Amino acid sequence: MKQCTIIGKTNVGKTLFLINFAEYLGVKSLVINYTYKEGSEKSKTISSKTAISSLVDEKPHKTLCIQAITLNIPIGKGKKKIKLIDTAGFIDGIHPDIEVRKAISQTLTIIRDSDIILHMIDAYAAKKQDLPSSLGEVDYQIAQFAQIKRGYAILANKMDLPGAEEGYRKIKEEFSGHMIIPISALYKRGFKEVKTFVARNI
Amino acid sequence: MINKVKHTIDNPSQIHNMLIEGEITPGEALTMFSQLERYKIPFSTVNEEESLEDVMKELDQLIGLSKVKYLVKEIQAFAQIQKKRREAKLLTEPQVLHMIFKGNPGTGKTTVARLLGKMFKHMGILQKGHTVEVERADLVGEYIGHTAQKTRDQIKKALGGILFIDEAYSLGRGGEKDFGKEAIDTLVKAMEDYKDNLIVILAGYKDEMERFLQINPGLRSRFPIQIEFNDYSVDELMQIAKMMVKKRQYEFSPEALIKLERLLYNSQNDINYDKLGNARLVRNIIEKALRRQALRLVKQKVISREDLLQIKPEDISEV
Repeated sequence: MKQCTIIGKTNVGKTLFLINFAEYLGVKSLVINYTYKEGSEKSKTISSKTAISSLVDEKPHKTLCIQAITLNIPIGKGKKKIKLIDTAGFIDGIHPDIEVRKAISQTLTIIRDSDIILHMIDAYAAKKQDLPSSLGEVDYQIAQFAQIKRGYAILANKMDLPGAEEGYRKIKEEFSGHMIIPISALYKRGFKEVKTFVARNI
Repeated sequence: MINKVKHTIDNPSQIHNMLIEGEITPGEALTMFSQLERYKIPFSTVNEEESLEDVMKELDQLIGLSKVKYLVKEIQAFAQIQKKRREAKLLTEPQVLHMIFKGNPGTGKTTVARLLGKMFKHMGILQKGHTVEVERADLVGEYIGHTAQKTRDQIKKALGGILFIDEAYSLGRGGEKDFGKEAIDTLVKAMEDYKDNLIVILAGYKDEMERFLQINPGLRSRFPIQIEFNDYSVDELMQIAKMMVKKRQYEFSPEALIKLERLLYNSQNDINYDKLGNARLVRNIIEKALRRQALRLVKQKVISREDLLQIKPEDISEV
């Protein structure tokens, strides 16, 4: 099974995307596999509504363990299974909390084993400087790293917010040459393009 | 960024530790990973840095194949002019470059296909320029519906490059009910859909390919480029042999050359000559000769540099 990993800075909307994308592909109840930093694993079945309320938060660093679900992506006449993985968010500097640092280290391991990387950037915050999800050095470093991967796309999220258009244009300028898909994880916009991209790379 | 770190990084767990200890930022860790990965890049990717001149030179060095060389020059000129036209804001049309290669085994069909892929990448005609080599078994499935999916999978793999179907005529055997037909239909559809980003090459024996095209008359018009790969003459085969040993830093003794030539003449009279594999036959003879030379030398007490280089007539034998 191919691995598709969502990465990006903290608070850009990775977990919300995971849940809504799964719902978009027809998954009614999510079977989420949690992998904790110590290596222990747990699996839980929840509906997407409760998932959003319990897993998504406005505060940064809500996700501190690896959350993975298995999805069926329709390809041609058949379907293919992929593992969609949600990860702990990145930050530009060094985080004071060792727990967060461990979570990021775990994320890096996952990234290195992944076939497809969906790099999420907050289009709304792209033009602003001070938000935790603003465009940062780490975004460029991710783009640089991801060149060695076959499937790499940038998802410009939060396109529903006013001013996100401008941010999207900035992202296009900064990361020209990469595949960039504008989406709204909240309103499930642009998901068709993401599906096509994933399908083409597995 | 990596200079910040005093010790050298040679395994990923070191990077993880530094990250957890708070010595580096996540971004720096990523940069280190990509540097680490870069060391491991296999040699094949080095080829990507070959320039168009290198690839053209490689093609020019191939013995014979004058038609192919001419065709490539045509396509290259056309691509250049198209680019100029685009700059002048004139209409440009993507070229349909699907091809049929007809010829016996060992006449260079696969070699040329691989080179074309690289070349077209440099000319900006193809995005990736890789060659996906398939045969009937890779395309045709076992039950209804399976074939379309299998064929489409191969097409997807080949997007941005060349889909090279060897022994393509085998898709046409087995009549109406055979799944080969389904594969052809899927292929034809894909050739239309991805005409900017995919080149399909059908290859096979000349007579069989002719029959195949007669059974599927619609195909001929979809493959505007048809190239015949003629059998190599003995002279050409000798040139190929000389080049092959030169590449491997060996040389034939004059007597060995005579023996090889005689062997090739005799093989041409063989009833199965078209199955023997032309240039491939030469390669096999040479590889065998190298092994026999080695066997001859290990028995020797003193081995000179000359001995290591030379292939003698006694080394050369039929495969």
